[in-house]
Amino acid sequence: MDAFAALPEEINHLVAEFSSAPVAGDLTVGLTQYSFWLLVAAVVFAVVMAVFVKKQTLVPRGVFVNGVEYLIEYVQNDVAKGVVGTGWRRHFPFLATIFLFILINNFIGLIPGCKPGTGAIGCTAALALVTFVYFVYFGCKKHGVIGYLKSLAPAGVAFPMNVFVWVIEVFSLLLRPITLAIRLFCNMFAGHIVMGSFSIMAAIFAEPLLEHFSAMNAVGALPSLAWLAILLIIYAVELIVAFVQAYVFTVLAAVYIQIAEAEGH
Amino acid sequence: MKLINRAGRAAALVAAAGLLAPVPAFAEESAGGASILIPNMAEFIPALIAFLIILVALAKLAWPSVLTMMDERSKRIEESLADAEAAKQAAAAKRREADQIVADARREAADIVLEARRDAESERARIIGSAHDEATALIARAHENIEDERRAVYASSAETVANLAVEVAGRILNERLDEAEQRKLIEKYTEQVGSLNG
Repeated sequence: MDAFAALPEEINHLVAEFSSAPVAGDLTVGLTQYSFWLLVAAVVFAVVMAVFVKKQTLVPRGVFVNGVEYLIEYVQNDVAKGVVGTGWRRHFPFLATIFLFILINNFIGLIPGCKPGTGAIGCTAALALVTFVYFVYFGCKKHGVIGYLKSLAPAGVAFPMNVFVWVIEVFSLLLRPITLAIRLFCNMFAGHIVMGSFSIMAAIFAEPLLEHFSAMNAVGALPSLAWLAILLIIYAVELIVAFVQAYVFTVLAAVYIQIAEAEGH
Repeated sequence: MKLINRAGRAAALVAAAGLLAPVPAFAEESAGGASILIPNMAEFIPALIAFLIILVALAKLAWPSVLTMMDERSKRIEESLADAEAAKQAAAAKRREADQIVADARREAADIVLEARRDAESERARIIGSAHDEATALIARAHENIEDERRAVYASSAETVANLAVEVAGRILNERLDEAEQRKLIEKYTEQVGSLNG
């Protein structure tokens, strides 16, 4: 039961480790471990796309080209065409880039020893801000600035209720980038905390056995197997979460773009 | 190019928004609690710049060619499907044409067979008629010959019988009757005999 006693301290230590820490400069000007891995993911993404563009042929061949094409077609059909609609081609580059960028960041974070670029609120806030500016820009471009602001209030609501609804809609609009950033960050952060917790539990329970082999320690280490099994299951779930979160972020971005460009509510 | 320009303008807007953000608000030490939800500029700025560079670079260099290739593929597939459909239609038309030709050939063959049978039938009838006529003519001619032969035989036998009768009667009657009377008597007799046989 010493293992359970040591657990809170280890979890606190783990959470502290997951907090942003500068690897170059400081927290204002520099790089944290998350922004470092985000840059690594950006480079990986650029390399993947460069290789893909070079290898892409009329008849796709090979696991790599087919795999990337599958993802791109997924964004094209399920997100761009499915959500944005007729004007999908104009927004496809943004949607495909943001989906693959987040996906690669999430998957890199699942490699032991690496961190997800999306595991820090600063990184997800940047992506959310770009998305916010993007859909507001296209909303203003479609309707004009005044027209876009007017379009926030639903049509057919009588004065003064329409003013009240407009204020609520403006708040809703301003909350969109915040919810986008926090949703992605919390999912990735929490998933990694859970995985880290179970790996700590597996290590703590096995530690006495590794230090001194005895029947007592062997029995005490048995829960480690259970924690390890749960860890593997959570890891598998995190693989799905990595994909789902990239999908959710991209679909919401597509929905916001569609709403911003819609003729009327 | 329009897309690139739009992306560039969007990038400029985002960069301006990032630079105008209140820096001190992001600069707090993240030691846990609520501060974990405060963005650090050391993460926000590199992420913003990295994403915008990737977005602009891919929008300019990758996505147009990727979409072009996928469109070209879709077009080729549609064309191939259309060609396959046209080839299928052509094959079906050829098949119908071939079936029509076979049906026509069968009908023609049946007509030919029917005509040949009709010709054979008429030829048979003609041959049988001809043979029948010939046979009738032969029979008639045979009858005539037989009649002639019979007449000749009768004439010859009457002559012979008359001679014999004259001779026999002459011998029997020792020439009481002259020859002319005997001949009349015999001719009368032979006529009676001929009427009995005729």
